[in-house]
Amino acid sequence: MTAFIKRYADMKKEELRYNLHKASKMKMCYLFLAPYAILFFTFFILPIASSIFFGFTYYNILEPPRFIGLQNYINLILQDEVFLTAVKNTFVIAVITGPIGYILSFLFAWFINELPRWIRTIAVVVFYAPSIAGNAFYIFSIIFRGDAYGYLNSFLLQFGLIDAPILWLLNPDYILPVVIIVILWMSMGTGFLSFVAGLQGVDRSMYEAGYVDGIRNRWQELYYITLPSMKPMLLFGAVMSITTAFNVCDVPRALAGYPSTDYAARTIVTHLFDYGFSRFEMGYASAIATVLFVVMILCNKAIQSILRKVGT
Amino acid sequence: MIDHEFQKSGYDLESILARRRKEKEEARAALKKFLLISLAVVLVLAAAFIFTTVQINKIQAYNLQVDQGLIEGTVDNDISVYMAARVCIVFAAICYALFMLVKLLHPKRRKPNRSFWGDLGIYILMAIIAVAMAFPLVFSIASSLKPLDELFRFPPKVFPQHITLDNYSDLIVVLGQSWVPFSRYLTNTVFITFVGTFGHVLIASMAAFVLAKYDFPGGKFFFNVVVTALMFSGYVTGIPNYIIMSRLKMIDTYWAVILPAFAAPIGLFLMKQFMEGLPTVLIEAAQIDGASQLRIFWSIVMPNVKPAWLTIIIFSVQNLWNTNASTVIYSESKKTLVYALQQIQAGGIARTGMAAAVTVIVMVVPISIFILSQSQILETMASSGLKE
Repeated sequence: MTAFIKRYADMKKEELRYNLHKASKMKMCYLFLAPYAILFFTFFILPIASSIFFGFTYYNILEPPRFIGLQNYINLILQDEVFLTAVKNTFVIAVITGPIGYILSFLFAWFINELPRWIRTIAVVVFYAPSIAGNAFYIFSIIFRGDAYGYLNSFLLQFGLIDAPILWLLNPDYILPVVIIVILWMSMGTGFLSFVAGLQGVDRSMYEAGYVDGIRNRWQELYYITLPSMKPMLLFGAVMSITTAFNVCDVPRALAGYPSTDYAARTIVTHLFDYGFSRFEMGYASAIATVLFVVMILCNKAIQSILRKVGT
Repeated sequence: MIDHEFQKSGYDLESILARRRKEKEEARAALKKFLLISLAVVLVLAAAFIFTTVQINKIQAYNLQVDQGLIEGTVDNDISVYMAARVCIVFAAICYALFMLVKLLHPKRRKPNRSFWGDLGIYILMAIIAVAMAFPLVFSIASSLKPLDELFRFPPKVFPQHITLDNYSDLIVVLGQSWVPFSRYLTNTVFITFVGTFGHVLIASMAAFVLAKYDFPGGKFFFNVVVTALMFSGYVTGIPNYIIMSRLKMIDTYWAVILPAFAAPIGLFLMKQFMEGLPTVLIEAAQIDGASQLRIFWSIVMPNVKPAWLTIIIFSVQNLWNTNASTVIYSESKKTLVYALQQIQAGGIARTGMAAAVTVIVMVVPISIFILSQSQILETMASSGLKE
């Protein structure tokens, strides 16, 4: 046994020496990487590490952080009812907009794939524009305005479907559905572009071969040929859609107000903002951020393992 | 093809030509029939549309008179039936137009596994969804062109009746009154966007170059970390970033926005994936010719990855143009354009028109950049896949 461990250690040592030797020969590479690596470390790795650290402390910027163990997490789960609402809302939004947005952006990309080039270009612009239009979702606050001048209300009133205007953005029953609709409208993002480009690159001869081998309709073709050859793009799109699904913040803040009625549109990120930038309880806010990291990484792992099984 | 046909018909050229002529005539007859049917459909739809419109106008005039007490009677409620009918007619017309379009555009020889009706259904579905997706954007442009009384008309109309640019000129007046001149906000945003994008492209492509083309210890690990970081949006790292910025004494400077933008993971990711598509032979050849690594990067790799450049420039510009930076910049004279515009938007009902104008101004820049460069972006995105 000891001999085995010794041999293993020797092997590792040898490997390390080899790597160091290789690294010393490739100094130039590290020099090229250095500027990015330093900035990336400072503004991405360090924040994540420090938010894990500050999650265990009480920290209000003015006084030095004080270590309080798991107290933040205990408060988060046992005492902070608003946080539980936020978690519930975030999950409802993520579970609905994440998969639906992801599937829709793939389906749309697939549907427009065979159109003539100029129609495809128009379609890509139309579908992608909402996600880059800055705060264009502001216009939904006019569409969903609570009085009779709001477009949806006046439309419904005209057709006699309702007899009094509905306060879409103030009534807790309607806030979340409205937010979900707006987020779905904006969900054709980078992932959609990746799908459009990826579908153009699928080898045409595979479709003909599939036809000869007995594939008889477009859905079989999708499942057996298109999806497996799109796997890398599907994985990339999944990462992007998890990011947007869990980081919902701007839309509820702009539409439903901050804070919203009865916290009906409170998400984890708006909760984090509230504690971080309004109350300056950085320790508590960091604990919230840590919870969000963990959830997102777990989701990503789960989805990647599902996607690996597609079409095989 | 013709040989085969020739053989089958027993080398009878006359009969082949006759059959071809007949086929052609049949095709022409079918087209004629199709056009006649289309004409009939169009006429019927137009007649129905005119009829319902006339009825609606009649009932509206009647209801108005009843409302004003000019004639005795009750308000006629049939109007909604006619309106619904009219919507149906318009919908049918659109469907039929698409049907004709698909029929005419459709190649005679079908691709395998595609049925005509399936294609038609998908095209109609896509057309409806595209209209729904475009509606809010069109609507915000339309409302920015409406005069104030039309913004608050009941029932509201989507398109303005009298187009004015009042909202835009009001916006200029309001911005002129703020104590920080408008040009200052614009300069701030332009500075942040320009410097941030320039640095990001340079730094990210330097890193992407070595990650894509050289195999050195730690490179793969670093790239995996970057891919994981794709998931973390600026919101989540906002708090610790604020603390770090305050330690670095960079709160309330442009650098608090610019430096994190330099290290945006999406740019490195797209650049690296695109550079992997470059032939390694190119680099080896340059190495043999004695070019230094810097020179290979600058005069061989960089000119060859222009689509990727443009793409990450666009993503970076979109990101920085839309940033309001409200958490790290406090002094009024350093605030960004989007922040100033959002403050105007927050002005409530009286500023509805101006708010729509603001929305249009903010969205026009990224969308037009995207339209101009979409073919390059799609070329880059083709290599965006995540390998397992």
